Amino acid sequence: MLFRFHNLIISALFLLVSQLSADDTQAREIFVEAILAEGSEQTALVESLSTTASTLVPDFLEAWKRGDIFLLEADGSAAPTPLLEVEPEQEGGTPTYFRVIDGEEMAAGSFDPAALEMARPSRKTRRVFTMTIDLLALSTPNVQERADAALKLGLKRDDDILPKLILLRETETEPSVIEALNEGIAVSMLSHGTKEGQMDAIQLLRDENSIAGLDALKNLRHDLNDGLATHPFSEEELAKLTASIASIESYISWTDFVGTCFRGLSLGAVLLIVALGLAITFGLMGVINMAHGEMIAVGAYSAYISQTVFYSLFSESTFALETYFLFAIPFSFLTAALCGFILERTVIQFLYKRPLESLLATWGVSLILQQGFRLIFGAANRQVRSPSWLLGNVEIFDITFGFNRIFVIGFAILIVFGTWFLMAKTPMGLSIRAVMQDPQMAAAMGIRINRVRMMTFAFGSGLAGLAGVFLSQIGSVGSNLGQSYIVDSFMVVVAGGVGNIVGTVISALGIGVTDQALQPLLGPVMGRICVLVAIILFLQWKPGGLFPSKSRSLD
Amino acid sequence: MIKFSETQRSLAGIIAVTFFLVVAMPALNLFGSEGSFLHISDYQLNLWGKYLCYAVVAVSLNLLWGYTGLLCLGQGLFFALGGYAFGMHLMLMIGEQGAYKSALPDFMVFLGYKELPAHWIPFKSLSFSLLAVLFVPGIVAGVFGFLAFRARIKGVYFAIITQALTYAACLLFFQNSFTFGGNNGFTDFKTVLGNEIFAPSTQRALFFISAVYLSLCLFLIWWLTKTKFGKIQRAIRDSENRVRFSGYSTTTYKLIIFVVAAIMAGIAGALYVPQVGIINPEEMRPSKSLEIVVWVAVGGRATILGPVIGAIFVNWLKSYSTYHYPEYWLIILGALFVLVVLFMPNGIVGLPEQLKGFYRKHRFRFQQKKEAAAEA
Repeated sequence: MLFRFHNLIISALFLLVSQLSADDTQAREIFVEAILAEGSEQTALVESLSTTASTLVPDFLEAWKRGDIFLLEADGSAAPTPLLEVEPEQEGGTPTYFRVIDGEEMAAGSFDPAALEMARPSRKTRRVFTMTIDLLALSTPNVQERADAALKLGLKRDDDILPKLILLRETETEPSVIEALNEGIAVSMLSHGTKEGQMDAIQLLRDENSIAGLDALKNLRHDLNDGLATHPFSEEELAKLTASIASIESYISWTDFVGTCFRGLSLGAVLLIVALGLAITFGLMGVINMAHGEMIAVGAYSAYISQTVFYSLFSESTFALETYFLFAIPFSFLTAALCGFILERTVIQFLYKRPLESLLATWGVSLILQQGFRLIFGAANRQVRSPSWLLGNVEIFDITFGFNRIFVIGFAILIVFGTWFLMAKTPMGLSIRAVMQDPQMAAAMGIRINRVRMMTFAFGSGLAGLAGVFLSQIGSVGSNLGQSYIVDSFMVVVAGGVGNIVGTVISALGIGVTDQALQPLLGPVMGRICVLVAIILFLQWKPGGLFPSKSRSLD
Repeated sequence: MIKFSETQRSLAGIIAVTFFLVVAMPALNLFGSEGSFLHISDYQLNLWGKYLCYAVVAVSLNLLWGYTGLLCLGQGLFFALGGYAFGMHLMLMIGEQGAYKSALPDFMVFLGYKELPAHWIPFKSLSFSLLAVLFVPGIVAGVFGFLAFRARIKGVYFAIITQALTYAACLLFFQNSFTFGGNNGFTDFKTVLGNEIFAPSTQRALFFISAVYLSLCLFLIWWLTKTKFGKIQRAIRDSENRVRFSGYSTTTYKLIIFVVAAIMAGIAGALYVPQVGIINPEEMRPSKSLEIVVWVAVGGRATILGPVIGAIFVNWLKSYSTYHYPEYWLIILGALFVLVVLFMPNGIVGLPEQLKGFYRKHRFRFQQKKEAAAEA
């Protein structure tokens, strides 16, 4: 399938005759010449293709290597015409042929396909194909591609390519490409350069913190130790080489460290979003809501529903894909809050005085909801597609920052800030805090405690819904989605100190970073186990969590 | 009419249950004629054997939660640890009858082990394995309980960290490299104490042992409620600080009870494994432990027979509804749970009392209505 698709692209290129640029025309001419030429002349012609800056060259060379280029013998002494064969789209159809020189399709009856002869490149020519394609990439107008190609060629450490790279460095104007060329040349120099060249390369790779050059440096050291190197090194020079390797290695460990911190922060942010709702329903209200995980799933399924609705309203357009997510965020909050509201009215309001039993009843609710999801949405997981602005990543100092990770950190900050604002700065927050501290006194002051509890619970569930929207972006949506987070989020709240949102924030980030730091050492599962054990031990030291609520009362 | 005291009545209940399980059921299985109403098939007996093991776990949780006020959401862990300890012995007893015809357990051959890991070797001995059934859950509970109670973690927090404990253990046992069979656990047992494991006579004997063991546990609890220890236990449940201020080390009491309950559950696990023929980390999932709490709550916490009734009733309901309404089973269980918590705080055992109270409360209104009806 892929193969045929490839052919279609070639034929499409051939058909666009009117748009042929001067580069392409030149490339076609050289290509035809090369096909007809022989021996070293052919090799030289193919090599010269790399200077044409035509996008057709890789396709041509690929077709030639595959044996899709044929020669049509001309009458008399005229040179034969090279043709490109394109496989038919259906099995068993007849192939179509295009003239290489101008891309015109050959009319079916104008020649005898049986008389065609396959044009084979000489063995020596074949060998320069890859290099030609690589070198060609050095002349693409795209700066990033050019820089990548420069580095890639340098890393091949091919002494044929090295002079070409040096030549290119003189004409290149883009600084990032020059940098990449320098790096690539330095790496090649390590293997093929003179002694001075090698020393310069060692210094340059060190200055550039070249991760790509580390292997080459290590190889060189290895060769020196084994006495295989072209030039022997003095003690001092060897020390320089070792220092250079050490410097790059410390740079790598630094980028690893920053990368781990960043991934840890983003995992912490996920945990934080998941646990923040629980910090309110469990931490402030004292309700052990085992159905919290299902509130998360409600949010995730709401994201799925809004995606489906957008797709059916706007068909499967990019507009729908890009915008449904913005709609899903408030929608999930509202649906989860509504579910929380119903749960509070039907079950939890009777259990404020029996917290352990609220655990049991809400677990029952959680079972009902899980099975309900399965009955409504089916047992298979549902896929929610991410809008393009959440995909992709940006690389700074060799550290990859995924957009979705950056987004979740920003999202977490926003939610924490919003929650803090609601709790600390609004009349609603004031009455929430009053009811949580002393319901009877609050009632005596005229606060309608039932209503406040109802609203608080709905708000906490709504936050769980927001967590669900995000989780739908990093995995598929299933009825067990919430279950995988429920134990962790309880641990976050307990370790942070119940009834304290700052504690929840710190413990979520702490747990996230610890988890990510342990993972490379111990593997994902053992890392998690260690985190759980660490929390249990942490509670030995601080039974009330990071920020215990201060009170003189005994339970 | 002679009024019986509470303790006398529960003793009578225990004796009745013991008679039914230890004598009547095996007898009906042995002597009942095939097809008769009174006959209990081998399959039914095996099923009930499983229920009895569950009932013991429920009793052990009741000892913690009902009588001491410690809600443990990790009782399934101790059950599974006991099961694993005995399962290791059963695995080694397979010998070379396994699928790979090797002296090593099948999963080890599969994972490329060349020889038995050192910690497996002692499990070749039956007596060591039986001691491990007692000591492994006991030591885990002892260490964990010591840490938790010393830090005065209680109530909701205790519940949550026990849940974290069983979750961590569950993740650990799911690992293949942990040498306990990964997610498949142990299965394909062939013999127990030299008897073919699935022979009806072996299964009958296992049922009998489980029934005796359950009865012993019930007697232990009944006896405990009469002792001073039992009184302090309940005092801790009702007001721990007061007990501590009266000079009792509540930490020690709680620790002892926690360890006893863990061992009780561990033995139940060891009896469960040969009857069911498999043990895997699924038993350690937090949801399994929550299910145990359901059994106790449905039957009636802080009553002697409540957990037994709850465990058998819920599991019977589970078997029944997974067969008849497979899609709705979880909904039935969930709804049962919500309803029990909301409307039957004393469970099934407390239901008659609750109805009586309800009648007393409304008797006056009923009479009024009757009189009004009579006048009209």
